[in-house]
Parts: sequence; structure tokens; C-alpha cells
Amino acid sequence: MIGDDRVSQTIFHDQVIGILPKLRVQALALTRNRAAAEDLVQDAVCNALSAQDSFIPGTNFAAWMHRILRNRFISNLRKRRDTTDIEDVPSSVFATEAPHEDRLALKELSSAMGRLPADQREALVMVVLNGLSYEALAEATGCAVGTAKSRVFRARRQLEAWLLGEPATGTTAPRGRDATIAGKAGIPMSAGV
Amino acid sequence: MKHLVMTRPNNPSTSTSPRLPGESGGVPDTAFDLWLQRSLHQLFDTVAKEPIPEDLLRLIEQDRRK
Repeated sequence: MIGDDRVSQTIFHDQVIGILPKLRVQALALTRNRAAAEDLVQDAVCNALSAQDSFIPGTNFAAWMHRILRNRFISNLRKRRDTTDIEDVPSSVFATEAPHEDRLALKELSSAMGRLPADQREALVMVVLNGLSYEALAEATGCAVGTAKSRVFRARRQLEAWLLGEPATGTTAPRGRDATIAGKAGIPMSAGV
Repeated sequence: MKHLVMTRPNNPSTSTSPRLPGESGGVPDTAFDLWLQRSLHQLFDTVAKEPIPEDLLRLIEQDRRK
């Protein structure tokens, strides 16, 4: 049915536009660099538009889209052979009317976020800010639901340890296939979309 | 921050409790988690709320019309 296809296509493009703010948050969590995050979102959108026939209407669009962005990030890492743990939170964040202590705490949090392995940082913002369920996070990042829960849990507890000066928990980078690249960014490798 | 009283649960993979603090997804359940959620919003919302670049929107709309 051509008419049905047209409607599905319209919904698809509306969904892409609707998820752009969340893709930005994920991209910034992964890259820690605003320009790189913008490029990553654009690349992911291009990939999604090219692969729109592979999206099954009625399935989890957010997980599908976040996974495309993540795979693009990993693909870029392989090409660049570089790390991306750049501290690049907009200065406007700190130029608020908030009390001095709050601004200092935000700076500390920003710095601590940069020290987290990228997979934990990504998991934390996707659950806490983007509102993904653990199941959707697992689908988006190609891991088991238990692993997704563990990443969010460890990110929270590691930040708590660093920021409150309590004993640290382990945040070792993953090892294995492509460990040199992915390990530097704290990203476990997963199958591509 | 130092005055906050925190719970320190075990590793989730070894715990026998049905649900751990910090394990409830987007719903924080300790003072630190509440602070963390609020602060992450302060750090990331600025970026999320910025206008979408025109060229990106144009790209999507061009594809829609294909």
C-alpha cells in the first residue's frame, strides 16, 4: 500500500526530528566535545535516513536511533584512532545566577563525568536525562539488560565516590576486541546497525 | 555535598535485594542521586534545548519529500 508507506515515512521523519535533542545529549556524553557532537548527530541522521527501510514501525524507535548514533561514534573512533575525552561543557552553564558553591559543584561534576568510561557516562545520561528504560538502553547499546543496569549503577556510585571523597569503585575500561580504541573511550564494541 | 547521608549498596550483580538504591532507572532514590539528576539537567539541558541547525532540518525534510 503506497498510501500506508507514505504515512509511515512521514511518521519516521517526525520521529527523527523529535529525537534530535536526545541524540545531542547522547552525542555530547560520548564525545565530550560540542562540535564533534553536532557532527556525530548529523552523521547518525544521515545513516538513519539511509537505513530507514530497516526500521520496523511499532518497534522502539529511540533505541534504534540511539544505537545508530553509538555505532557511528565507534566507527569514527576506529577511523580516527584517537581518544575524545575532551572537557567541553559550555561555559554558559557555569555563568548562571546559581550560588558559587553550586557552580563549583557543577564544575566538579562535569570534570568527574569526563573521567567516567564513556559507556557508563552514556548509560547514565540516556537513563537519567533521556528517560530510556534499562531495556531500551540495552537494545540501544547492544548489551544485556543486567549490563545496562550495572553501567548506570556504577556510574552513579563512582561519581558519588569521587564527589564525596569516598572510596572509589572500579571503572576499568573494557578489554577484548578493538580494546585499544574502544578501551580508551570506555566503549565496548557491538554489532552495527 | 559532604553533609548528605548516602546509602552505599553492594554491587548489583551480587546483591540479593530486589531493588537497589540508584537502580530504579530515571527515578533517583538517594539524596546524591537527586542532586545528580538535577545537576546533569543543568549541564546538558542547555545543549539539548539549542535550536536544531537549519541544514540538518533541511536534510530531513528533503528526504521526506523524496
